[in-house]
Amino acid sequence: MDCGNGARARQHVFLLPEYLKDASKKMKSGLMFVKLVNPCSGEGTIYLFNMCLQQLFEIKIFKEKHHSWFINQSVQSGGLLHFATPMDPLFLLLHYLRKADKEGKFQPLEQVVVDDMFPNCILLLKLPDLEKLLRHVTEEKEIDKKKYYKYSKEKTIKWLEIKVHQTVSALKTNNVNVSARVQATAFFSGDQVSSDKEEDYIRYAHGLISDYIPKELSDDLSKYLKLPEPSASLPNPPSKKVKLSDEPVEAKEDYTKFNRKDWKTEKKNSKMTAAQKALAKVDKSGMRSIDSFFATKNKKIGKI
Amino acid sequence: MDLGELDRDSTSRCRLNSPVPAVCRKEPCVLGVDEAGRGPVLGPMVYAICYCPLSRLAHLEALKVADSKTLSESERDRLFVKMEEDGDFVGWALDVLSPNLISTSMLGRVKYNLNSLSHDTATGLVQYALDQGVKVAQVFVDTVGPPETYQERLQGRFPGIEVTVKAKADALYPVVSAASICAKVARDQAVKNWHFVEKLQDLDADYGSGYPNDPKTKAWLRKHVEPVFGFPQFVRFSWRTAQSILEKEAEGVLWEDSPTGDQEGSGRIMSYFSKGPRTHPHLPHRYFQERGLESATTF
Amino acid sequence: MESSDEAAVEKCRVHLRPGTLCDAARATLHLLPCEVLVNGPAPVERFFTPAIRQGTDGLEVSFRGRRLRGEEVVVPPGLEGYVMVMEEKGEGVGKDFSEGSSNLREEQELAAPPEALERDFDRFMGATASFSRFTLWGLETIPGPDAKVRGALTWPGLAAAIHAQVPED
Repeated sequence: MDCGNGARARQHVFLLPEYLKDASKKMKSGLMFVKLVNPCSGEGTIYLFNMCLQQLFEIKIFKEKHHSWFINQSVQSGGLLHFATPMDPLFLLLHYLRKADKEGKFQPLEQVVVDDMFPNCILLLKLPDLEKLLRHVTEEKEIDKKKYYKYSKEKTIKWLEIKVHQTVSALKTNNVNVSARVQATAFFSGDQVSSDKEEDYIRYAHGLISDYIPKELSDDLSKYLKLPEPSASLPNPPSKKVKLSDEPVEAKEDYTKFNRKDWKTEKKNSKMTAAQKALAKVDKSGMRSIDSFFATKNKKIGKI
Repeated sequence: MDLGELDRDSTSRCRLNSPVPAVCRKEPCVLGVDEAGRGPVLGPMVYAICYCPLSRLAHLEALKVADSKTLSESERDRLFVKMEEDGDFVGWALDVLSPNLISTSMLGRVKYNLNSLSHDTATGLVQYALDQGVKVAQVFVDTVGPPETYQERLQGRFPGIEVTVKAKADALYPVVSAASICAKVARDQAVKNWHFVEKLQDLDADYGSGYPNDPKTKAWLRKHVEPVFGFPQFVRFSWRTAQSILEKEAEGVLWEDSPTGDQEGSGRIMSYFSKGPRTHPHLPHRYFQERGLESATTF
Repeated sequence: MESSDEAAVEKCRVHLRPGTLCDAARATLHLLPCEVLVNGPAPVERFFTPAIRQGTDGLEVSFRGRRLRGEEVVVPPGLEGYVMVMEEKGEGVGKDFSEGSSNLREEQELAAPPEALERDFDRFMGATASFSRFTLWGLETIPGPDAKVRGALTWPGLAAAIHAQVPED
């Protein structure tokens, strides 16, 4: 069965592009998760490389409170669902190009893409057609058949504008509700309100792209796109579902002695709720996140 | 008594009835309502009605029906057979409420307590008799709690019928005694032949009376706790006895409407999901927030 | 910098064993509307599966005395579901990770890659199962089209547009 020796180990539920399966038939290695700097938040973030397909993937996690998986004959707490989707590596390269630009000179890429914190960034250099990609965001010089690059904000903004337009068309075909108004009706039902204005789409697409670029660049792009500046650029709060009443309607004269009132009081009096007690019992060794695997060992290395 | 429908699916409820005696459609009838298996933590609760023409009440009394609790199982079975033999003037109907139905009702988001469930079931059975053309003139109901509000409700629902709700009605009125026998025979049979939904191994049928205070029942519950699933659906999860065994011996389960402890407590649970406070207050775009998506910084 | 000593250097790679993606057997998955505070074996087939009923609209089951209503969710086209587990350190070295992959591992060890992608401090993961659909359960109501997870499933479609490389002008 699936729950042999790894029964207590955390199981990660993933959705991967189908073609990875076929590609992996020819591979022996080179499919790997690494931590790189998130170009928007600056936090270490997990990405997936396929060195055979020379492709980069972003990992998003679906996470909603109060979920768990049953996976065959096992239970997995958390109910997380991971998505790996192809990612444009330029977003990650931009982070380094902008950083290197502070020196104000043309540099070879391998001098630009260096990171003491996230040394795996050098894997980005193995991706294909970088020269072509970099033309979107840099000025280049060639000396002795070697390419030297310098970040270009103008080119980058234009590139991002195309990204925004690409995104706008996808938002339209996918019937995403981009309206700034919070609607009581469904968000994903597809009965899209036709009155959504072009400006709403552009603002929404700009917001999405902004999740892949630093704040400063997002602001510049907003100006370039002539989006109204003020609080509108703040992310709207997500819609909340109407909560049903929690008030229990209880029997007054049950002789079953199931009296929720007593039950609640009893719970309050005890220091931990049942769930917390149960949590205390949980063998957390199987719950280590992948992150802990990334970090622990390396902390030691850092200290050596 | 053929409880075949219950055997086929023991997760919901099933109604069972005798043919309606022709005379009951012509003459004014007296109808008794009683229940069996309200208190136990195991098995179904059965509601029963029994009815006969007012003119034949003496014949029913002659069967020497009595409160089912004062009778042995074999006496009850014998009396039920006699009532079946008198099917030309005695009719009955049952509603078997599975323990699963009871659990899910009582533990629902909107709590449907046992009294409401009981009252609605009793009302449903009286209505059923009316729908079958039984000329119901008088209704006698046994009750557990204070009878006044219940009587008012039933009387309001059936204004053309003389309703009497009384504690110990099963001992006072033969037609209620007869209903209590029907209910008890059905409940015993259902428990004895319980069709477990689960594929259980080494099932121990020695669960005692099923009442929460019976040590045998408690021992059976403890023995059959499954850490993730709790109990088989034969158990009423909503009973305090069952709940407290689960709290001690099964894994914790949190629902979106679970009563949360103090803030400190819920904070502790949250810290298990997201490791430590986030240093960056950057919120993902609303597209991601609305879909519960975030970048994988940790898995 | 003084602080660089303290900062965690994110050097480790977690290698997903490619062979496991091909070998992974189909699994049955249910996404429940509650947090079960444990990871581990659970007799789903004995307690849960036999209690599932096809109701008039959607599936019905009970869990811990609560009524659940559910529906099948098909993984969007172009995607494949996998269940993955991190190997313990040393696991998978010198022993089969999954059936049929032993030859693969030998080959791998013989033909050392030109540049070592795998270092001794890296970790390994493998797919233990695959899926193309799962059952989504809601507490007393069918999750329906507005379920957050259904919204999340539209992400790969939009991601493709955001990350499509901009053509050269």
